[in-house]
Amino acid sequence: MLHYLIMTRSLTYAQRAARLLERAGITAAVIKAPQSVSVNGCAYCVSVSYKHGPRAVKLLDEADLRSGRIFLQEADGTLREAKL
Amino acid sequence: MIYLDSAATSLLKPAAVPRAVSRAIRTLASPGRGGHAPAMEAAKAVYDCRCAAAELFDVPEPERVVFTMNATHGLNIAIRSLVRPGDRVVISGYEHNSVTRALKAVGADIRIARSPLFNGPATVAAFRERLAGASAAVCTHVSNVFGFVLPIYEIAALCRAYGVPLIVDASQSAGCADVDFRALDPAFIAMPGHKGLLGPQGTGLLLCGQAGVPLLCGGTGSDSKRQEMPDFLPDRLEAGTHNVAGIAGLSEGIRYVLDRTPQRIGAHERDLTALAAGELEDVPGLEIFNGPEQAGVLSVRHTALDCETLCARLGERGVAVRGGLHCAPTAHETVGTLDTGTVRLSFSPFSTRAETVKACRILRRAAGGDFS
Repeated sequence: MLHYLIMTRSLTYAQRAARLLERAGITAAVIKAPQSVSVNGCAYCVSVSYKHGPRAVKLLDEADLRSGRIFLQEADGTLREAKL
Repeated sequence: MIYLDSAATSLLKPAAVPRAVSRAIRTLASPGRGGHAPAMEAAKAVYDCRCAAAELFDVPEPERVVFTMNATHGLNIAIRSLVRPGDRVVISGYEHNSVTRALKAVGADIRIARSPLFNGPATVAAFRERLAGASAAVCTHVSNVFGFVLPIYEIAALCRAYGVPLIVDASQSAGCADVDFRALDPAFIAMPGHKGLLGPQGTGLLLCGQAGVPLLCGGTGSDSKRQEMPDFLPDRLEAGTHNVAGIAGLSEGIRYVLDRTPQRIGAHERDLTALAAGELEDVPGLEIFNGPEQAGVLSVRHTALDCETLCARLGERGVAVRGGLHCAPTAHETVGTLDTGTVRLSFSPFSTRAETVKACRILRRAAGGDFS
C-alpha cells in the first residue's frame, strides 16, 4: 500500500502534525524517518495514506508544521520523492 | 502526620500520579530515540504532558514547553540565555537563591527592586524605577517564604514597555494561581513539577518565549549529524534521556489541576492561610506575616524561640513545617527576618481545615513550651 512520508522538524512537531491531521479526519502515524531521506541524521515524519497525502500536506503547510521533503513509500519499502 | 510543607514539595499526590510513575517504569522506553512501540508510547506520554501543560498555562505551541529537572534548572537555562557578565538585571526583593546565585555565577549586575511585604503597588513602582537600561528582569510570582503574591502581570507589562525580557519564577504559583503565558508574554517561565503541579520530584517545566541557550548539550534524537544543538524547541533545551516516569506522573498531576482549576485550588489554600493566621493571632510572642495578597504560604516567628526549635517541637508532635531561611535570604533581608528566619506553614489541595486548626493548636502549645 502506498504511503506518503511527510518530513517534520522533530518528534514533537511530528506528534503535533499527527494530532492536527487526526482532528481533520486523516489517519496519521508518527514514525522514525528512514535514514536515507533524513538530511541531518535521525528524524521523525508523519505517515499518511496515498489518498490523503495532498490534503494532509496542505493542512500541515497551513500550520507551518512541515519541514523539508515528502516521500512516497511503496509497499516494498521503496522510497521516491514526491511533489504535492 | 499533618503535612504543611507543600511549598518545599507536594508530599501528598493524586493517586493517579504514583500509578502513572509505576506504569511508566515498567512499560515506557526512551522517547525520540527508537521507533519501536515502547519508545513511541513513551513519546506519546511525554507529548501528552507537554500538551496538558500548554493547556494549563495557555502556551500557544506545545514545543514551547520544555522539561527540566526542577525550577532551578529552568531558571538557570533562562538566566544563561539572557544574561552576560556585567549585564544589569532587575529582580524583586523576594527572589530565591535559584535566581540570585545563578545571576551571581553569570556575573550579573543585580539591582534589587525591594518593596514592603504585601504591597503590590510599591513593588511595581520599585521595578519601574530600575528597569530603564536593564538587560533582563527576574520576578517570582509568589514569595516562597511569605506567600506574597507579586503583581506579576503589571510587572510583565512594565517590562514590555521598557523592552526588557522577563523571567518569571512560578515555583509557588504554578497549579494554584493564574499563570497565563500568553498574557504575561515573558522570555521564560520556570516552575517545578513537584509542588503545585503535584508531580514527582525531579520534574520541572520551562515555558519558552524564545529558543534559549542550552545548559546541557548532547543527544536529542534529532539532527544527529550536526554537532551543534538543534535550533528548534523543545530539542534545543532537552539534551539526554527524559525523566519519562517523572513526566508520566507529572502529566497526571497537571490533569488533576486542570480538573480542579488553579483558581479553586488557590482559593482553598488562601482560605487555609487565613484560617491559620486567625488561629495564631493571639499566641503570645508570635509574629505572623500575613496580608491581603497572600497565597497558601504563611510565615511566623517567635520572639524567644529559635525557628528551628519551634519546627522541631512541631515535628515531634506530627506537624511537618519548615524553618530557617528557605533558600531565600533576599526575601528575609527585605522583610527584616534574615537574622532569625521564620517557621513556614504551606498548604496544598489536600490540606484540610481540621488539620490546619489542629496544627495551629499544637503550634500554640509548642510556642508556650507546653506539651503536658
